[in-house]
Parts: sequence; C-alpha cells; structure tokens
Amino acid sequence: MTHGSGGNRTVRVDGLARVEGQGSLRVEISDGAVTDVALEIFEAPRYFEALLKGRGHTEAPDITARICGICPVAYQMTACAAIEDACSVAVDERIVALRRLLYCGEWIQSHALHVYLLHAPDFLGCADAVELAERDPVSVQRGLSLKRTGNLVMETIGGRSIHPVNVRTGGFYRAPSPESVAALAEPLRRARDAALDTVAWVAGFDYPDVEGDYRFVALRGGDRYPIESGWVGSSDGLDVSAAQFADLVVEEQVPRSTALQARLEGRDEYLTGPLARYALNEAVLPTIARQAASAAGLRSACRNPFRSIVVRSVELVFACDEALRLVASYEPPNPPSVDVSSHAGTGTGATEAPRGLLFHRYELDEQGVILQARIVPPTSQNQLTIEADLRRVVQGGLALSDNELTWRCEHAVRNHDPCISCAAHFLDVAVTRR
Amino acid sequence: MTLPRVPGGGSRRVVVAGMGSEDRRDDGAGREVVGRVAALAPEACDVGPAVDPLDLLGWWDGAELVIVVDAVRSGDRPGTVSVIELVPEVTPTNRGGPPARPPQTPASGLTSTHGIGLSGALRLARAIGSAPRRVVVVGIEGVDFGWGTGLSPTVSAAVPRAVDRVLGLIGEARSCA
Repeated sequence: MTHGSGGNRTVRVDGLARVEGQGSLRVEISDGAVTDVALEIFEAPRYFEALLKGRGHTEAPDITARICGICPVAYQMTACAAIEDACSVAVDERIVALRRLLYCGEWIQSHALHVYLLHAPDFLGCADAVELAERDPVSVQRGLSLKRTGNLVMETIGGRSIHPVNVRTGGFYRAPSPESVAALAEPLRRARDAALDTVAWVAGFDYPDVEGDYRFVALRGGDRYPIESGWVGSSDGLDVSAAQFADLVVEEQVPRSTALQARLEGRDEYLTGPLARYALNEAVLPTIARQAASAAGLRSACRNPFRSIVVRSVELVFACDEALRLVASYEPPNPPSVDVSSHAGTGTGATEAPRGLLFHRYELDEQGVILQARIVPPTSQNQLTIEADLRRVVQGGLALSDNELTWRCEHAVRNHDPCISCAAHFLDVAVTRR
Repeated sequence: MTLPRVPGGGSRRVVVAGMGSEDRRDDGAGREVVGRVAALAPEACDVGPAVDPLDLLGWWDGAELVIVVDAVRSGDRPGTVSVIELVPEVTPTNRGGPPARPPQTPASGLTSTHGIGLSGALRLARAIGSAPRRVVVVGIEGVDFGWGTGLSPTVSAAVPRAVDRVLGLIGEARSCA
C-alpha cells in the first residue's frame, strides 16, 4: 500500500510473514530522495544455534535440516562438512560424488520453484503462479516437471525429498543401488532439455535497466562449478578457506530487527547467490550451460539483479547436466559412510545453497557434544545488499505510481532470496506520501 | 515428505492424502487417519502423507476423487468431523502490468511462504489440465496445535469417525464406477 503525495513518501511493507519468522520493509522518501531503507527480517534459524548446544555431533545434520523445507540438503551437507572438519575426517570420492548428486537434486527443485512459481510471475504481470498457469500453462507445466525431477533425485539418494533421512556425518546410511541411480538418467535428460527451454523463456522477459555495484562472494571449486565444497572467493580478491571466511564475517544486531545482518570485516556488504556464483565461476560451467548463457545474452558476469532469473535458469541447466555426469559415473560407496569419532575441536563447513553461501561452525568437546554452533544462511549475508538494491530501485522509480513502486520493491526483494521473496508474495505493502 | 509413485492415471482412481505435521500435535490428525485407511483399504486408493499441497500436483493427476484429510480450525466443536467439497475460487486474470490485487491476497490461497494452498493447487492443476475430477476435504476440528507429537484426547477419539467417513467416500466412488 502506498500513501502520501509530492516528494515525501513512505513505502511500508509490513508483516513479511513466513513460517520461520516475520519481517517488514520500510522505505522513506523525502524531497524526492530516498533517505532510509530498512529490511527487517526475524530469523528462526538463530534459535537452532541454541538448540544444538548439548546435542551430539552426529545429530547436527538432521537437526539443522529442519531449518528449511526447501533447502534441507544444504543444511545437512554444510553441517556434515563442519563436523567432519572438527573431527579431522575426510570422506572418499564416491561419497563426495553422491553428496553432490543429492545436492544437484535440491538445486533443481529449488531453482525450478523459484524461477517458475515465485519469480516469473513478477515479469509477466501475474499476482502469483496460479495466474501465470492460467495464462501460460505450458511453461508452468514445464517448471513443475523440472521440480518433480529434482524431488526424484532427492528421494532416490536421500530417501525422501523434504528433510532427507539417508544423510549422516561421514556419508550415508545406505548407498542407493546402481539400478535406482541409473533410472534417474532419462528424467534428467528431459529435465536438461526443459532447463534449456527455461533459459530461452526467461531471456525473452523485459528487464529494468538496473545494475548494482556488487561485491560478489561465492565458493570457488577449482575445475568444477561449486556446490558442496570449495574455497571462498570474492570479486575483490578474497581467496580464503571456509574457516578464515567465518572469521571475517561480522554479524550485527540492529535495533529495528531481531535479524542479524552480516558484513565482511573491513569490506561492508556483499552478495551471495546465483549472480555471485556465476560471476566467479562462469569459466568452469559445462559447455552446454555456457552456450545457453551466451545465447541468453549473459556475459561473464551479470550485475542486473532482475536478470538473476536468467542466471538461475543457467544454473538449472548446469545442475541437470552435472547430475547426469554423476549418474553416469556412479559407484556405490562401500562402506556408505566413514566413521566420524568424537573429537574435541572446532570445525567450519561452507557450501552453496541454492540461494547462496551457507556456512556452519561447531565447537565440540572430547565426547562430541556441541558446545557452540554458528549458522549463517545466505539470507543474513544478503540483507544489506537487498537494502542497497531497494534504495536504487526506489530512487530510480520515483515517477512510478504507488502500486507500481510497491510492486517493484517486492520484485527487487524476490530477485535475491526465495526465503524472503516467497514471503514477499503476501507482504502487506504500504507506501505513504507526506 | 515422500509421496508414493503414481501407479498410472486411471480415471477411476481414488487418491487419499493426509496433510499436516505430526510435530504440531493435532495437525498430525490427517496423517493418523490416512495411516489407518491404508491398513483397512490398501488396494482401494493411493495413500500418502504430504506437507505441501504443491506435492499433490502430479500425484493426483486424472484421479476421479481426491480425499484430503487434515486438521482444521473453524471454530466448531473440537473433534467435529466435517466433509467439504473443494470448489476453488475463480478470480479474473490480470492482463499485463503489476498485479492489481494487493499482493497479500493472491489467488493461490497462499498459506505458507514456500507453498500454495490446497485451493491454489487445484486451480493451478486445472490451469495446466491435470486436475482431478473432484476434491473433498475431510476435516477434523483440532484443539491443540502446539509443539510436540501426539493428538489431543478429543481429536484422537474423533479419528475412527474420520476413518469411517473416508472409507465411505471411497466406497461411494467405487460403487459409481
């Protein structure tokens, strides 16, 4: 909702409600200039850190998976990485490959959900996915099919698609049979074709001519696009381990919100997620994904936040192609997990969740009891950048009507983070003119 | 939550789905009912727990009847079992530009941040041509939706009545075949 007139306006987005917490958005405009932007998010994942204290080290993957129903694998994989780091355990290549395949499934289902059901309606003037389906059923059918394929991969490897039950520290409870993994190839081939169609579809949308001066932060995975491991790099020269990165991230409590806002020590705000991953790793995408990106007009980096849907679609192509590669080379790990004996120490793990860099840090005592836990999701890390985007969008959109300006603000939020953006679909928006 | 594979889209199929979370007390009523139905009528229907109505897409395609069992909070007496025919609200489609309707009242019947409501799922299924012919909700009025597992005594006592209603609906659908 927007109120006010002339050069003084207040854009309010109250009740950014979601299952995990609440948030709101407020933009103050005075004499035609944006004077304040406040994205207020109340994050439930904070409570999990306290919940983890006193629990056994092997419980972390299953407990943290409950933080999110869309990216439980991200939490499981990151918890495993951090606990194994603390216990000085290395898993074999077959376990690494199986983890990566499971993670590909999550990327496919999460990206398909965001591209088709949460983000695309913004570009096509639809209130939501239902309205989009009524106007373009073929496209939505394609998105749902992609999402189902992602779910299928997660069910096959993880036992079920939401909060998989087959993951444990050190690997898996059971290695899926070669036959069940091989059966994923045909659906994944169809999904890869659908992903290519997705890139072509979103490339045809109209995009505002906006660019952000982002500090991109993402994992770098050597010769492969990063998912489950890697060093942390940035567009301004950062090149550190996950543990070193965790030391650099400063989380701050601001009076207007219970959410923590992350910034890099000495560097201020930064952006994680598809735009950052692509900018830092485009060169190691498989040829099929690079060609799709090029055909869609993407160069080696994309700084238009609205075009994140194109990058996310290119990552869909990558995830399907990578899953096919992993399916073709699958060898069941035997045993399916390695022993992760309790070990006093501190460990850090970082992985690429669909919506950005996620890191965990655990301190364990000699019995493996968790003494301290730190979980920093992409949402925390992107908050300040989203506010900067909003400031830019509002400043450039002062001539828009109240309804259009409010809608553009919500769209700007959805560009970056499904955890916020899906909530933004039912924000109570208020823009006040004074 | 994993749903069972669709065993073919026969036009006489009856699908029963239990919605809700077992970790929120009475919200687990739907899954409790469906578990008992699965034991009593294992060949009569596809049974599976679901958390997100979006999960039903693909699973219910082409079914004659879908029975969704869930806890409800309507203000009725706790333990009341009600049967509701689902008729999705039809709203005009916006043509171009930003949505005219306030975003907090989407057509999808959005009730959570990551999914869409049951009515929205049915509308979406209709739009893409994969909707079941009929969707019926069997609701059990809950009283305790707090944290934790286990149904309240009132809702627990209502579960057999809900099972009977579901079996009755399955029987009616079969007799019309």
